[in-house]
Order: sequence, then structure tokens, then C-alpha cells
Amino acid sequence: MRILLVEDDPLVSDAIVRGLATAGYVVDAVTDAESVQGRLDTTHYDLAIVDLGLPGEDGFTLVRRLRRDGSPLPLLIVTARDGLDDRVNALDLGADDYLVKPFALPELAARCRALIRRATAAAANEMVVGGLRIDLAGRRAIDDTGRVLELTRREWSILECLAHHSGRVVSKERLIQAIVSWDEEISGNAIEVHVSRLRAKLGDAATVRGIRGLGYRLDDA
Amino acid sequence: MSSSRPSRVPSIRSRLFRYMLLPLVLLLIASIWADHRTYVSPMYDIFDRALSHSAVAIASHVHKGTDGHLYVEKQDPGPPLLHGPGEGPIPPPPPPGDEPFDRDRPPERFDPEYRPMSWMRLYSGAHENFVYRVSEADGTTLAGDDTLPLTTGKIIDNLTYGETRHKGLYYRLASYHTVVDGEPIVVTVGETVHRRNTIVRRLDTLVGVSDGIQLLLVLGLCLFGIRIALRPINRLRDQIMQREPQSLQPLPLDPVPSEVRPLVTSLNTLLVTVRDSTLAQQHFLTNAAHQLRTPLTGLKAQLEVLASETQDRAQQERISRLQGSVDRLAHTANQLLALARAEPSAHGPSDFVAIQLDALVSAVIGSMLDRALAHDIDLGAECEPVQVHGVYWLLHELLINLVDNAIRHTPKDGNITLRCGQHNGAAYLEVEDSGPGIPAAERQRVRERFYRAAGSDGQSSGLGLAIVEEIARSHRARFEILDAHEGTGARMRITFPP
Repeated sequence: MRILLVEDDPLVSDAIVRGLATAGYVVDAVTDAESVQGRLDTTHYDLAIVDLGLPGEDGFTLVRRLRRDGSPLPLLIVTARDGLDDRVNALDLGADDYLVKPFALPELAARCRALIRRATAAAANEMVVGGLRIDLAGRRAIDDTGRVLELTRREWSILECLAHHSGRVVSKERLIQAIVSWDEEISGNAIEVHVSRLRAKLGDAATVRGIRGLGYRLDDA
Repeated sequence: MSSSRPSRVPSIRSRLFRYMLLPLVLLLIASIWADHRTYVSPMYDIFDRALSHSAVAIASHVHKGTDGHLYVEKQDPGPPLLHGPGEGPIPPPPPPGDEPFDRDRPPERFDPEYRPMSWMRLYSGAHENFVYRVSEADGTTLAGDDTLPLTTGKIIDNLTYGETRHKGLYYRLASYHTVVDGEPIVVTVGETVHRRNTIVRRLDTLVGVSDGIQLLLVLGLCLFGIRIALRPINRLRDQIMQREPQSLQPLPLDPVPSEVRPLVTSLNTLLVTVRDSTLAQQHFLTNAAHQLRTPLTGLKAQLEVLASETQDRAQQERISRLQGSVDRLAHTANQLLALARAEPSAHGPSDFVAIQLDALVSAVIGSMLDRALAHDIDLGAECEPVQVHGVYWLLHELLINLVDNAIRHTPKDGNITLRCGQHNGAAYLEVEDSGPGIPAAERQRVRERFYRAAGSDGQSSGLGLAIVEEIARSHRARFEILDAHEGTGARMRITFPP
């Protein structure tokens, strides 16, 4: 997996390159937005990490330019600005995620993993969450021992919905909507029953965490 | 804006009215006085002339008898008539030798011209008297009341006039100097002044009432005029009141009258200054955030890399302590920036939008869940859909700080519950924990900047609740620290204005 880093601060840049290398990524670092295009023309990248406060052309402009040119490259924004309007702005322009400085390297690595996983899922119709491999085309889930889990249609729909938003809280209402197309009458309690059965079938491969009053979150383990 | 004592607030309308009322009343008094002066002396002249006619008429009844003495002819008088100046022909002379008759007797003959109005009765009831005296040049009285004094003064057209007090009444006298059959005589007649004074008083009343009505009409017109004239100012007031309270848009100068224009212009200058300083503040904070956070990120990330690269336990221990300090430094920098951003000058009116509190709660839980799980704390929500008007990232920061504070004070296996909803029409946000709670005596002090309660961990910057307080204030919301519904913990409650 190859990542392009656009960051002008040498200390930050160096730490990210080393930190992500430990997580198994190859990182190419550039210091300004102008040299991005040359890199993209010659090399295939799975992700770009872009600092918003760049000298010369800033991160906003770079993101807008890349998206206007139709680049499908997943983009992770890193910035020192904490105003959430900046965040909304960047996501509106076409960035895929946003991380405010100062951050911990494991957090950055987790975000990179999630973004690359999502991009791969769209391309290969497959997602990997923890020890679980989810085959979207075949509508089946395979655990780390290679065993295909026997899931009902409702359990599969819940798992699919949670996997699409893995690492984020999915509300109960949203889960109901995900399975309502062939089951008009379903209550919150019914969802709980389905989730607890799904949990039992997943075993240690992945965790479906219940968030009191909100919904569920699919975690790696 | 609104005062509970409106009488204390000076209003242009009432000032204008007051300043016009006093001159108008003075003008009323002056005009009544001037009118009075205008008609009082012609009126008295007419009465005097009527009186002199009586004297002349009496003189025509004086004849020289065969004995060479003068006599006053006695004649049967017609029925007495009430008469005044200009009311028909000269009245017949009063019967000489008769007692003065009461003129206030009701008329025996019906006079269609005379219809006393009710208000005229105000001045009736006094005794009217008519007296006369016919005397010779040497002062011998031929007929009438011989105690009646003669008038002195300049004789004009054989007449002299005067006033006297006679038998307890005030009289106006007229003396007619004439010659009857070669003998000079003086006929003096007198009537009480009450009658003419009554007429003058009636006129005064009429004039006073009509001028008073005029004054009231003028005042009414003035009030109407003031109302019309103040309309542009009222429009301006409405415009200002309809604006968003945080709006820094300049006021339009178009419908503003020239008198108020300087006020609006300086208000606009002030608004522009405030807007500029808000922008400058925001610019400064963005730069400060960048300049603080970028090196901190480098430092933090380098320490992490260093820790993963070294195998030396002692060195790792030292690096871990350094990381703790850097984390604390980063936290404090974040808190200081958040506090600066929470100040009203740091955000513009355009930042205020409709915010769904339940969505905000789930976003905050999403971002704080990992920290709560790391502390084995059950983080949950009890939300009803509710909307407020606010700055999204400020409310986000507020809730993050409340949850962060709760996580710091909640023991392992505890729980934290976020609530939102509506109570008595006002939206609220609540964070309840199962920690030890905050004693009532400390509840005010924990909101102060850099205050750290006894027993708090070394990681706290003492700014969290100060940020909450500041953000609540910028939303005109109330921040309360209450007891938990269950157990000993604290319940932090933000109540938004309805």
C-alpha cells in the first residue's frame, strides 16, 4: 500500500513517514501542492494525506483540483484548524476524512486503514474487518479460520450495514431501514434479538458493540 | 430592551408634547386676556350711553311750574322692561319717586329675543338697582335720592360719568347737565355695576371656552403631527429589532431622516469595527492554532516513533513520561484555543445555525467512545429530537468538554449518560456521571479558569468547565451543576433560552 503525504513541516512529515512504515505502508512525502501532480502521473497511490495549511496553493485548493480532475484517490485531510466549518468545507469539497492536529500515530494509521478498506471494498466488492472477510458480491462472511458464517438474510443485512460504517456508530433506526425492505413490521427489540444472534455467530472475529441509547458499532476485535 | 418602569425612559414624543403644552397654555391665557381688553371698554361705553339716555329722558320730564319752581312730571310708567345696550329703543324713564325696582324680576312681557342659557345663570342672583337724582345748580334736590353724590370731572356732551359706593352697592353714575326753562339742572342716574360685569364675565367665559377648545384641537393636531413625524424613527427601531441579535450587517441608510442619520452612520461604523475585529480575532486564532499545533504534532509523533524504535526499558519509560507532558501541553493548547474561540468576538453571526441536539450528542459519543471504553465506562444517550440556534462547533466543543470532564471523574465500570430534550419549552443538554459528584460549595468555583478541584488528576488543565461556561454564555444558555438523578454523581445541565 502506497501513500502520498503532502506536508510542509519536516518534523511532522518525517514522523508520519516512519510511523506509517511501521504499520506497513510505503509513504512518499512532498512539501507543497505543486509537486503532487507529477507524483500522481508516475506512481499509483492508494491514499493521499493532505495538510490544509500548505505554503503556496493550500490544501483546500488541492482537494478541489483533484476532485475536479476526476481523481478517485481517497483523501485524508490533516489540519491544525479546529473549526468544524473547515471540516464541513473540506468534506464538501471531496475529502474522505479529516484529522485535527495534534493526533496520535495509531489514530492516523487507523484512519488510513479505514479509508483504504472502503476504497478497496468499492473496487473489489470485499471488506475486511478484524478477522472477518466480507464478500459483498457473494453476500457471505468468512471468519479468520476460513469458515463461511451461516447468516440469515436479516443478520447479513445488519452485518453489511455495520461493515460499511465500521468504526462508527450506526443508529438502530438506520439498521431497521436497512432490513425493512422485506420486513415491514420490525421493532427495536427485534433488532436487538438479531444483533445478539449475529454477535454469537461472529465469535472473536469482530465485535458488535452496543451503544446505550444510540445504536451499534462494528469493531475490529 | 424593555423596561419595567417605562415612565423613567425619556421619550421624544412626550418631551415634544411637554415642550409644546406649556407655551400653548401661556398663549391661551394671553389671548383670553387680549380679547378681554378688546371688548371690555366698548362694552362699558355702550352701557354708559344707555345710562346717559335715561338721564336725558328724565330731564325731559322736568318742567317749570306756574310758581317758577321746577317740578318733575309724574307719569304712569309702562311695564318695566329688561333692556340692554342695543336692545330696542331707549327705555321709558323710570317713574320718579318710585323705589328702585328689581331688574332681576322675571320679565312680565315675553321677549322672544331673550333666552337665557343655562351657563348664564352662573352669574345671576345679585341685586340690580337703578337710582336717580334731579338737582339744581345749587345742589337742591328736586326729585329722587338726595344722598346720591354728583359726578365730577370733565363735561363732554353735557355728560359726566363716575363711580361710587352707595348704600352698600357699587354704582356707575351718569350726570346730565342741562337747562330747563332757563334754570340749569343736573340729572344724575346710577345703576349697579353688577349687570355690566356679568355681561363681561359671560363674554370672558365664552372666549375662554372657545379658545380652550381651539387649544385642545391644536394639541390633538400636534400629537398627530408628532406621530407622523416620528414614523421613520419607529421604522428604524423595527428594523433594528427584527435583526438577528448577532448580526453585524450595517443598517440601511435609505429611509432614515437626516436628524437620525449621523446616529445610524456611527452605529454602522461601530458595526464595521466590530466585524473587522471579529475577523482579525478569527484570523489570529487560526494562525495561533496552526503555529501551536503543528510543532506539537511533530513532537508527539516523533516521540511515538522513538518509543517504538528503542528496546531500552528505561528509555521507553522516559519517553512515555515525555509523551504524557506533550499530551498535556497539547490538551492545554487546545483548551486555550477553545476558550478564545468561545468568546463572543471570535465568532460571527453567520456561524449561528439551527442545530439538532440529538445529532450533536451522537456525534460527540462517536468521537468520545474509544476514550470511555479505554476507561471501562459505559457511555450512552437518552435523547429526544430537539433543535436549538447556535454555533455547531462551539456546542460540539462544549459537549466534548463536559464528557471529557465526566470521564476524568468517573471510576472504572461507571457510566455516563448524555441527554437532550425539552423541558418547559426550553431545550436542554445534560451529562450525568456516576462519579463522586461536586460538593455544593465548589460548584461555582469549578467554573473558574484554571481552577482544579482537590483530588483531580494531573492531566486536567482546569479549563474544561470554564469553556463550558463561556460557550453557554455566548448562546445565552444557563449552565447548572446538579446532583445526579441516581447515585452520588454530578449532572451538568445546559438550558437554552426558549
